[in-house]
Amino acid sequence: MTDLSIAPPNLQDPQSGRSSEDPVLSDSWRSRLRPLLAFGRFEVGRLLRSWKFLAITIGFPVIFYMLFLGDHTAGKVVDGTVPWRIYLMVSMCSFGALVAALNAAGTRLSMERASGWARQLRITPMPAWSYVGTKIVASMLVVLPVIVLVEVVGAGFGDVRLTATAWVELTVLLWVTSLPFAVLGVFIGFLVTTEAAFPVVTGLMFVLGYFGGLFTPVDQMPGSLQFVAHLMPSYHQVSLAIASLDGHTLALTHWLVLAGCVAVLGLAIVWKHRVEEARGLA
Amino acid sequence: MPSLVTAPLDTLALPRPCPIALSFQSVTHRYGSRVALDRLDLDVPRGEVLALLGPNGAGKSTTISALLGLVRPQEGRVEVLGSDPRQSVAAGRVGAMLQAGSGIGLPPGVRVDEALGLVRRLYRRPAPRDQIVERANIGALLRRRTGRLSGGEAQRVRFAIAIAGDPEVVFLDEPTSAMDVESRQGFWRMMRAFGDEGRTVLFATHHLAEADEIADRVVVLNHGKIVADGPGATLKAAVATRRLRFVLDCPDRADFSDLEGVTEVEIRGTCVSIDSLDADATIRDLVGRGVRFRDLEVTGAGLEQAFVTLTGCRAVEAALRPSPPGPSPSSVWLGTSRD
Repeated sequence: MTDLSIAPPNLQDPQSGRSSEDPVLSDSWRSRLRPLLAFGRFEVGRLLRSWKFLAITIGFPVIFYMLFLGDHTAGKVVDGTVPWRIYLMVSMCSFGALVAALNAAGTRLSMERASGWARQLRITPMPAWSYVGTKIVASMLVVLPVIVLVEVVGAGFGDVRLTATAWVELTVLLWVTSLPFAVLGVFIGFLVTTEAAFPVVTGLMFVLGYFGGLFTPVDQMPGSLQFVAHLMPSYHQVSLAIASLDGHTLALTHWLVLAGCVAVLGLAIVWKHRVEEARGLA
Repeated sequence: MPSLVTAPLDTLALPRPCPIALSFQSVTHRYGSRVALDRLDLDVPRGEVLALLGPNGAGKSTTISALLGLVRPQEGRVEVLGSDPRQSVAAGRVGAMLQAGSGIGLPPGVRVDEALGLVRRLYRRPAPRDQIVERANIGALLRRRTGRLSGGEAQRVRFAIAIAGDPEVVFLDEPTSAMDVESRQGFWRMMRAFGDEGRTVLFATHHLAEADEIADRVVVLNHGKIVADGPGATLKAAVATRRLRFVLDCPDRADFSDLEGVTEVEIRGTCVSIDSLDADATIRDLVGRGVRFRDLEVTGAGLEQAFVTLTGCRAVEAALRPSPPGPSPSSVWLGTSRD
């Protein structure tokens, strides 16, 4: 690991090498953080300037939302009590988060690993975990505006009226519970080849979306599909969000499943990395 | 840390002299059952420019990966600048230009100056930006998108990224493989100048003429072992391969292949060409068998021939033959030819 107490000797003047007055030592905390911030800014900046990424992440949830709005029937309810317009907006927030997270990391990461850029970053002084860590953080950072955007559409066109506190709570809750998608995106980038990444990401978007009950409420699915839905992070994310809007307690089961997803995917990433390292590919 | 307090001031102020920049001590590494490095011993003094030569699969890339801590060999010890490779990498003292896989090894969708700026910010003491730009000759490329670079341009940018941290040691894994002859020569000039500043440079190549020309020292690797080590000229001399040519009526290949020292026999009409590791013994043997040869001529083999002999790699030799006899030996490639 990084031993910051040993300053590298200056090449031009080897005599001045190790010095306890080195200013770098006094703010080692900041000097550790600086590369991570630089890398994070670089990643988010890249995403926000990619037309393809913006078109997909904004286009999909907004267009789907608009399409489903046409299906709007006054008084239609989900799960007995939840108004359809609320359920729809929360679902589309979840879908937006899913689309943004998978597209932010998956395709790009796979490409960077294949091209050797990921390796190039690994041989900089940046700690080994920070590549994956920053990817996840960058995904989370682009997920947040997508959630807000769908909420704005909900408030503007979807007939959703909430108090300011409720909006904030909903946003934070949806954002935090998007972590499994961010980790999944990174895992896909680790798992599949560059050619496969885009179709896999696109496929997963719809599979996770559909089976998670984002397009059809879970209580309207056949029984066997309902069982599958209960394994999907989207379902638990939406359930938590709905419960918070209803003022219900947030059931521990939902949190546990989401945390479990993060843990399993995180371990899978570590495992894949170890395997590749042993083969000399990482 | 009481020991530091009581230590004499001199030992604190002066870094331990470390004339050895890179060191392998009996390093073995296997990928499954395939041996990539086989009890490799190698010391590279500071400031040396060393070429690592060998066919594909000889262990060149594994050597570089081990020096970067990307591969942890199962046996033996690797040291970079007197410490563990990962420690030297973490301290920002090492730079590298690895083989690009698919694509160009640069992040898509950003400008060259952004990628370079990022890498500089990852080091605590990066080289000055203008210095990097000048050394790697990328001034004209800074505003370009990484996706719009030619192969040679991308390699220059990747070189800039490799030296962005002002490293003391630089590793380059077949850096010129995607370049045309012109940019290749420019690249080597650039790298040689970098080495002349007292930095240690280790590069892997298939390219014999370049290794010979650029490096202070050439190490030939095959099957994870060093088969030759020395300056290019010494290397040639060390391999005592000589080519015997003579004329003979009705020559028969079978008469020559079991001669002493023979590695290769070629017969064209009445002209016989024999490669031998011990020309004296071969000639004595020929005389002893009563072969009535005429116009005997003995020549030293080129570095290519030396290399073939060292690695025993016939496929390499075959790949060499079609290369046109031109003034520039840099058109000669070894291993899988990429162009």
